[in-house]
Amino acid sequence: MMNALRAALALITLLVLQTTLIAELPIFGVRADLVLLVAIAGGIIHGRDRGAVIGFIVGFGYDLLVSQTPLGLYALTYCLVGYAVGTVQQTVLRSSWWIPVALAFGASAGGVTLFALLGTVLGQDGMVNDRLGRIALIVGVVNALLILPALRLVRATVPPERHAARLSL
Amino acid sequence: MALSRRSGRSRFTLILLVLTSITVLTLDFRGSSAVQGLRDGAATVFSPLRGAADKVFHPVGNVWSGIWHYGDVKKENDELRAELDQLRAQAASNADAAKQLQELQQLAQLDSLTQYQQVTARVASGPIGNFENTVQLDKGTNAGIQVGMPVLTGTGLVGRVVQVTSGNAVVKLISDVDAATGVRFTTSGTKGVAHGTGAGNPLMSDSDVPVGTNVPIGDPVLTSGLVGSVYPPDVVVGTVSKVAPAGDQINLSVTIEPAADLTRLSYVRVLIWLPSNP
Repeated sequence: MMNALRAALALITLLVLQTTLIAELPIFGVRADLVLLVAIAGGIIHGRDRGAVIGFIVGFGYDLLVSQTPLGLYALTYCLVGYAVGTVQQTVLRSSWWIPVALAFGASAGGVTLFALLGTVLGQDGMVNDRLGRIALIVGVVNALLILPALRLVRATVPPERHAARLSL
Repeated sequence: MALSRRSGRSRFTLILLVLTSITVLTLDFRGSSAVQGLRDGAATVFSPLRGAADKVFHPVGNVWSGIWHYGDVKKENDELRAELDQLRAQAASNADAAKQLQELQQLAQLDSLTQYQQVTARVASGPIGNFENTVQLDKGTNAGIQVGMPVLTGTGLVGRVVQVTSGNAVVKLISDVDAATGVRFTTSGTKGVAHGTGAGNPLMSDSDVPVGTNVPIGDPVLTSGLVGSVYPPDVVVGTVSKVAPAGDQINLSVTIEPAADLTRLSYVRVLIWLPSNP
């Protein structure tokens, strides 16, 4: 019960931060994506199963607050990212600080691109354009820089299951 | 064996989540009222939280913007000072002309923007995500704002309200790729439709102005205000910045630079005006 309450409060805080503070701090016109960062951190800590669930939940919450993209697009993209990150993480045998950093960069850039491609398939004009590369690069770099503190926060908010905790970083 | 069972469960979870997402997407595309209600409900619940957070973070954003755009802001400030001196000199003669115009409009029973009530609102936040081309205002239905109302600055058209709660409104900008604005080129009087081409980009009109039409660079572009138009007539949209033959060789491709700086909005006015049904 306490865990669920803590997770709900963390989700609300995440969404408020993303839609206010992050919206105010564009870097070369691009906004960081903390929601995607949490989906990636969820995949790294909890593996593909729970990573997909965390990605879906935070993505759906983000979907509810944006008005221009179809409802469910962020949920679909971020659950796929959480699953993919969890799958890659489970194949990594040794732990090192740079592995989650590299994973965060690649998954963020890939997640942004996947979102734009899925949006285009669903008839959203103008998502795949000359800005896409810049968005993917900047979101990737920012998320790579933030992944280590994000892992601590996600681990504290949604603790890993016992057997998984022994395997995680 | 256990690994294979766990792998099967993972795939089942993923398939379930993907199917749920696709179901929600389908409902949204079908215009389900439940989906829209869900979004409106979330906007209403988050509105006070975001309002409070905006008050805290807006100054942070101003400092951030000042750091990134210091050179631009300083240059713009110098240009604006020079422009202000010129405009002060013009103001006196313009006031007299405006009075005469108002009298003529009243005599001819023509519409004028000054006749509409307006609500001044602060832009509480810019686009939320990287694929959004909207801004959020700090006023909503409590101030009389409704979906469909035009939004402008002192310099020109900004967009129209697409979502509203009691204390906030979301405005889709005219630069959005889905936005279409009925326009009139003042020199020729030709009417057409200008489409957005994305955040920070100019508008384009490439299928309504026949080759040979006199559309000079710098020509002011106003809203056409045709019956059924989503904007009232004679709102400044921008100026013509480029003219070239369109792909069909029959029309001109006209690039329009918006008069309002859509990338750095701080305060806007919402016209208490709704489009009439065609």
